[in-house]
Amino acid sequence: MIPALSSLSLLPGALSLPQAAGAAAQAVAAAGGSGGAFDHMLDQISAAIDNLKAGEAAAISGLEGRAPVQAVVESIMTAERSLQTAVAIRDKLVSAYQTISQMAI
Amino acid sequence: MIDPLAASIKIAGSGLEVQSARLRVVAENLANAQSTGAAPGADPYMRKTITFESTLDELAGAELVHVKNIGRDSRPFRIEHDPGSPAADSKGFVKYPNVDTIMEMADLREANRSYEANLQVIKQANNLSSMTLDLLRNAS
Repeated sequence: MIPALSSLSLLPGALSLPQAAGAAAQAVAAAGGSGGAFDHMLDQISAAIDNLKAGEAAAISGLEGRAPVQAVVESIMTAERSLQTAVAIRDKLVSAYQTISQMAI
Repeated sequence: MIDPLAASIKIAGSGLEVQSARLRVVAENLANAQSTGAAPGADPYMRKTITFESTLDELAGAELVHVKNIGRDSRPFRIEHDPGSPAADSKGFVKYPNVDTIMEMADLREANRSYEANLQVIKQANNLSSMTLDLLRNAS
């Protein structure tokens, strides 16, 4: 249960804070050139959210097993933080997209 | 590699696990403070000790703490004269465990304080990371 969850951090979706900020900046910078950058970024983030939900479910089911409560709490908190990061970046991207689409021509 | 705040949470988490293991050892010692040997003249329960060591976690790039060893205290047993006890030897002496309840209580308190300190680290790191994330959320 716990190893499965920690392997989540190896997935491209599970972003650490500085990495995510860098990725978001790249996505915004690339948006001028190609229209697909926003779509791509959103796809990635929604995949991250799915992964993290699965991680949380795994941690909760770990409560029934032999995992110590500290480990379960720790993995849920990790999942929660990654989820919050992903959601914050998604919101930021959506608002950037809207800013561009509402731009006066 | 890893986010320093996430690493702090992981380190403090290892502290929580270690201190709860220590609490378990104290609980065993306290519960067995009167456990005599099974046969007449046999050795009673020996007090358990716990030691910790720091280990480098490759993934987090940080020094975590782990239980090094759960050993036995070799101090002499307490001997009392109680001829009626099933564990009494031929002269009527019974060996009682070398557990000092006062010392166990002190150990218990220390484990408790250390656990609280680690919890506080987790709370602070979590708080800081969500505050940092709020920068992204509220700035519009």
